[in-house]
Formats: sequence, structure tokens, C-alpha cells
Amino acid sequence: MHEHDVDLIAALADGSLGDETEARALVDSCDICHTEYLEQTEVLALISAAPSARMSDLEKAALHRDLWTELRRAPARTGSTPWWQRWSYVAAGLFVVVGLVGVLNLAQDTGGEASDTTIAAEALSDLEAPAEEGVPFVAGEDGAEGGAETTATTAAAEQTLDLPFAGLADEARARRDEGTMSTLDSDEGSEECLARLGLDEHEVVDEIELDQTYLVVMPVDAQAEQVVTFVTIADCAIAHVDG
Amino acid sequence: MTLPGNEAELLTRVVSGDRQAFDQVMLAHEDRVFSVCLRILGDREKALDATQDTFLTVFRKAEQFQGRSAVGTWIYRIAVNTCYDQLRRARRRPTEHLPDHVDPSDPSAEEAIASAALRPEIETALAALPPDFRNAVILADLEGLPLPEAAEILGVPVGTVKSRVFRGRRLLAQHLGNQTDP
Repeated sequence: MHEHDVDLIAALADGSLGDETEARALVDSCDICHTEYLEQTEVLALISAAPSARMSDLEKAALHRDLWTELRRAPARTGSTPWWQRWSYVAAGLFVVVGLVGVLNLAQDTGGEASDTTIAAEALSDLEAPAEEGVPFVAGEDGAEGGAETTATTAAAEQTLDLPFAGLADEARARRDEGTMSTLDSDEGSEECLARLGLDEHEVVDEIELDQTYLVVMPVDAQAEQVVTFVTIADCAIAHVDG
Repeated sequence: MTLPGNEAELLTRVVSGDRQAFDQVMLAHEDRVFSVCLRILGDREKALDATQDTFLTVFRKAEQFQGRSAVGTWIYRIAVNTCYDQLRRARRRPTEHLPDHVDPSDPSAEEAIASAALRPEIETALAALPPDFRNAVILADLEGLPLPEAAEILGVPVGTVKSRVFRGRRLLAQHLGNQTDP
């Protein structure tokens, strides 16, 4: 059955077609299509009759209470970061980039990549940019901006907490070298997240709980450079890259 | 419940710590978030946890919302991600599923639990679906979301959601047919 036929039959069944002429003609002219249409309508009649689940009054009250208790216990990162703190991170970032440019120029003199200086300049502009919309786990809203968003999000994520990414990355590499690394079962959510972040040739090797849950991601190819990437699950964003 | 005024403006107030604004956002979306979480997770306690985690993320990430989608779509996407996270953790640390219980001090509990119950054969058939088909059917058919919005929440093209919904319904029909066969 063609995809177009599938779309028509499903839409006819759920009543979302403005003009049903083509769909009716299809269903009337094709036995398989007619059978599919009957199946779709019968199932829809069963499941769409179910009301939306809702919380009880007590559950709602508890939700609001527990939520605000949690928020008071661990204040959210809002736009209230002091200006001097924000600019101190930018200054630190500038220092790192200037150092990077110096090192890369040295590498260039000895045959390094000509594009590294451009990459460093782009990293500088990303550090200066405010954090943009976090990319949700399954997909972001604008794929073209994924790189800048994730870099800005990385900088923002690392501003507030001193997390032991470097040590964890070393542990992950050590386990891979020892052969004691095992890949975690993938699921459609993490696969789509990795694809979204441009980590197609990577796999999830661990999951860790720090301030939030992170996926530990490494290249599938054990012979490739063992860059360890930490991805936040909640919003599918790169929190840290080590290596 | 529809949000009064501009939803994006409310989120801007949330960023500055306006509790009332955040309560309004919650009231507008908490029922659907809970319903989606319950259908995906199939467990009331886990759904309540996931609902709380969802709104914690909404509060903490409010400054990152730039209005490229509707606020509701953005929130439900966070909810689906949160549920995926819970499912992943549950696979690693299986816990016993406890039956939903009625708190005797909560007069609305019994009705709320009854509202969530699907017919047993539908529950079984839905649980047997592959996750991506099940989630598409949950959003489009159970929650009644338009396909473009369901697609945005799931992070896939509209055509993919259409296909998943169609195939999900087809598998449900097969499961339901098998359950009623003598």
C-alpha cells in the first residue's frame, strides 16, 4: 500500500479530511483498503472514547507543594546571575580561546589544520552568546542552529556547577582500554537525541546521576579518538565534551 | 483551561521568579502532562513523579524558551522526554508495580483513578505496541492532539507520525482481535 493511501485511510477514519472524495473512492475500490479502513475506525472508536486521565485534588495539591519545596531547596537558574559572574565566565572563556589559538597556530606552523583558528573564533562567539533554547530529548525546533545552541548550552550548563566530567571521562576511557566497557541498550529516545546532536557514530556507554541525569557517549569505533561526550537527558543537550 | 494573555509573556515572568505566572502555566497544562505521562508509563505514582519532574524542568529551562513552538508543545515534549528517562531507569532498576490506591481522605481520588482506567483489553493491547507507535497513538488518538503538534512533540516529521499512528492502530486492531478470539 502506498504511503499516500495510508495517509488517506487514516485521515478518513479519524475524520480529519476536509474533502473525503478521494479517500472514499480508494476505500470503495480496494478490498485491502476497505479492511484497513474498518480496522482503523473500530480501534479509534474504542480508544478515543477513553477520557483523559486526571489527578485528584489531593494529588494536585501535593504536586504543587512538592514542586515548590524542591524549587526552594535547589533554586532554579533564572536570569538573575550577577553581571560580574557572567563576564568572569566570558573572560575565562576568552583566556582559554586565546590559549587555544596560540597552540593551534603553533600546530599550524608544524603542519596543523588551517581551519582550527576559524573553529576557535566560532567557539569564542558561542561563549559570548546567551544560552539558546535547550534541545529537547527527541528533537529541537531548528536543526540548523543545533551546533551553536549546544555549544552555548554547554557553556551555560558548566557555569553554575563544578561537575567531575574530566574524571568520569578518564574512567570511561580506562574501562574501554581494559575491555570492561559495555554498551547500554539503546532506545528510540537516545538514538534520536544522538542523531539530533550529530553523534551518529556514537554509542551510550553509561548513564550517570549528578545534578541531573547524563548519558555518557563515546565513538562506536574504539580506534577513533576517544572523545567522551556528556549529554543531558532532560533536554538532549551536550553538557561537556572531554578529549 | 486556556492561558490568559500571552503564554510566552507568562514564561518571561516565570524567568524573573514570578510564582503566580508559573502557577498559571502549571494549571493550564498539568492535566494533559499527567495524562500523557500516565498513558506512557502506565503507573500512577510514576506519572505523578514524571509530572513533577516535567514542571521542574519547565521552571529551570523557562529562560531558554524562544517561542519557536507553542508553550504547550514545548512542555509536552519535556514530558515525553522525562517519561523516556523514567522508562530507561526502570529497565535498569525494575520496581514492583503497585496497584493504584484510593486515599480515603481524598474525596476526588476514586473518580480520578476511574477516569484514568482504560478497558483492560485496550490497556493490554496498548502496552504491547512498540514504544514509538504507542506514543504516537497516545498523543494523537488518546489525547486528541493534532498530528503536526504530536509530530513536534515527538521530534519527527508529520509523515512519520501519520505512519506510526496508522500502524499503531492496525497493531491494536490485531491485538484486540486476538484477545476476543475464543
